[in-house]
Amino acid sequence: MITLRDVTKRYGEVTAVDGVSFEVPSGEVCVLIGPSGCGKTTTLRMINRLIEPTSGSIEIDGQDVMSVRPEELRRHIGYVIQSVGLFPHLTVAENVATVPKLLGWERRRYEPKVRELLGIVGLPPAEYADKYPRQLSGGQAQRVGVARALVADPPLLLMDEPFGAVDPLTRERLQAEFVRIQRELKKTVIFVTHDVDEAIKLADRIALMRSGNLEQYDTPETLLDHPASKFVHDFMGSDRALKRLGRARVANVMRTVESTTGGARSVVAEACGGSRFVYLTDERGVLEGWVDCKVLDAGTPPEEAGTTVDWHEAAVHPETTLKDALSRMLGFGFRNVAVVDADGRLVGEVSLAAIEGTMADADTHIANLEEGEVLGAIPEESPAERDELT
Amino acid sequence: MVALAGCLLLPFVEFRPNRIVSGTFETVFVAGVASWALVALIALALVVALAPGRVRGSLLLVAGAGMGLALLWALGVAAVHLQEGAPAIVRVSVGPGAWLVGLGALIVWFAGTRATASVLVRRIAGVAVLLGVAAIAMWGGLGELSLAREYAVQSRRFWTLVRQHLVLAGTGVGFGVLIGIPLGVAASRNRVVRDAGLGIASVIQTIPSMAMLGLLIAPLAALGLTAIGTTPAVIALTLYALLPIMRNTFVGLAGVDAAVIDAGRGMGMGRLQLLLRVEAPLALPLVIEGVRAAAVLVIGIAAVTAFIGAGGLGILVFQGWGQQADDLTLLGAIPMVVLAVLADVSMRGLRRLVVSPGIEEGTLT
Repeated sequence: MITLRDVTKRYGEVTAVDGVSFEVPSGEVCVLIGPSGCGKTTTLRMINRLIEPTSGSIEIDGQDVMSVRPEELRRHIGYVIQSVGLFPHLTVAENVATVPKLLGWERRRYEPKVRELLGIVGLPPAEYADKYPRQLSGGQAQRVGVARALVADPPLLLMDEPFGAVDPLTRERLQAEFVRIQRELKKTVIFVTHDVDEAIKLADRIALMRSGNLEQYDTPETLLDHPASKFVHDFMGSDRALKRLGRARVANVMRTVESTTGGARSVVAEACGGSRFVYLTDERGVLEGWVDCKVLDAGTPPEEAGTTVDWHEAAVHPETTLKDALSRMLGFGFRNVAVVDADGRLVGEVSLAAIEGTMADADTHIANLEEGEVLGAIPEESPAERDELT
Repeated sequence: MVALAGCLLLPFVEFRPNRIVSGTFETVFVAGVASWALVALIALALVVALAPGRVRGSLLLVAGAGMGLALLWALGVAAVHLQEGAPAIVRVSVGPGAWLVGLGALIVWFAGTRATASVLVRRIAGVAVLLGVAAIAMWGGLGELSLAREYAVQSRRFWTLVRQHLVLAGTGVGFGVLIGIPLGVAASRNRVVRDAGLGIASVIQTIPSMAMLGLLIAPLAALGLTAIGTTPAVIALTLYALLPIMRNTFVGLAGVDAAVIDAGRGMGMGRLQLLLRVEAPLALPLVIEGVRAAAVLVIGIAAVTAFIGAGGLGILVFQGWGQQADDLTLLGAIPMVVLAVLADVSMRGLRRLVVSPGIEEGTLT
């Protein structure tokens, strides 16, 4: 657990971070977000003492960071930065082995670990271990950066806009991998970004900062549904409904469906029962297509009524966000979409109605906020500041 | 292409190669067959330079190498021929025409190395030239040239002077490294050291070497040392070696990406670890480049220190001038050029050896 108590950083007259306090439970991802110059990076860098706080205390699992030698402290905290900072004169494997070497590990202890980590971040060691950084793409370099931060198995990981310098497609892939790796390794992560969508996608908790102050610290859902101020409301953006869908996973709203193996008419017709679609699978349960029961009722033989699909394209996974599932439905023009596991086996379906159901919940509060009822409760906002925000 | 051909053309068309013997000029043709081979190869070089084609580079290499070898061969033959039956006092010196041909051969050779993509071809050509030079040196009668005669007379002293020269230059560069690298590191850490250090080193660099030896008299006298001999010479050479080494160390360290430093610090490297494991390897190419420049510079300046009795090849040069014995001057000058080239080549080799392929241009695909 990371505890910040009244942490302040002053540079002469300027206060970069002003009395910030929050707690991050172990194994959770805390995203620090806010406009440029809000103090989020300064806050992050005070945790591993790259910047020394002017006052206040920072504890990691109950131990004050000021009581540890900075170098020793940093060797047990993973550190990933936007510009990656791989050592250009060392190979990928040597880069990843940096912290174990600093910790004095023997080669036979860190070498398997280095290879394992390269595998985890999706860079097969056989192919990448002996490459030099300048032979890598931006995305590959940042994977190495993440492997390098994780290799000594630190309980805490600090990431400063780690996916900020790569193209959007690579960023999305890196984010997905981050979610996957984090689910596996359960690190405590402090993650700085200025991208609201990224924060919503990755965070267990979001700390929204503004000119050195912590505006709100809570789950992404709460920031979206119950913003503490107009600033939070505006910062989180106007497409909050869609953003909320970015939080929910298909697994939460999918339902089981009828499916049948093979295509004999009687079997399919029986399977139809009252539902509109029947999914077709092979013997292993892998999705092959579906039959529209309405077409079947009209007398078309099931062999012709069926739609054969490639599940890679037409289906979603339980961990897909509802936002992506909705996008898939809109793209195909369907009101339902099949849900398959990683091997393509059918596990259920998700419907547009189910997604709509999740959106209805928290609207009342937002509506009130937009009408200004809650705004009256935030007196500290000066007119000048408001102008600046709009 | 045409311009290049023109450049190569001029020396050969304008001047006929000549030989000099005891004040009278002899033409290249005293060398018989060898001279005809030389003329033919010059013609070949011209044709190749004018007619661009696929194998142009390789042909230029062949022509350049051939010109050089034929030149040496012709010199040897001429020397033997002209001294046949003559008294031992007779000398055969290398004439201006031959120097020009030699220069031409070098130009053609380097044009060839530039135009040849294949490393293998260049290596083979290089080895062939070395073998050819060795063969001609052994059997070609070069020993009859006046330069070699001077060497035969001076050989003992010659090697002593070469050694002195190397020790002088080596000590100068050595102290330059010992002082310059720490100063460069300090300059990258501290603005005052940077401004003062680089400023003073630049001023030193602009002082002519003769003036430097004079200027050292006062401070050395204050320290109770004379301004004559090896010590002041080494001090002067160290001062000259300082700037390139210090400046390149500073520039190399200052050029290290800030993100790399941040990452190193963030992973728990101390200042010294950061310097030794990250900054030094990254700055190394430039540091070696600085040492190389310093070595070449100091080998040249070490000639001047002969004036204050520090010895070295400069002695031969100045004696040659004093006695109007050009060949004695050459006996001092040519080894200096060779030493400078060797220093240059060995530093480049060192660089290839110790710099990570991750930061060396052209070593990875």
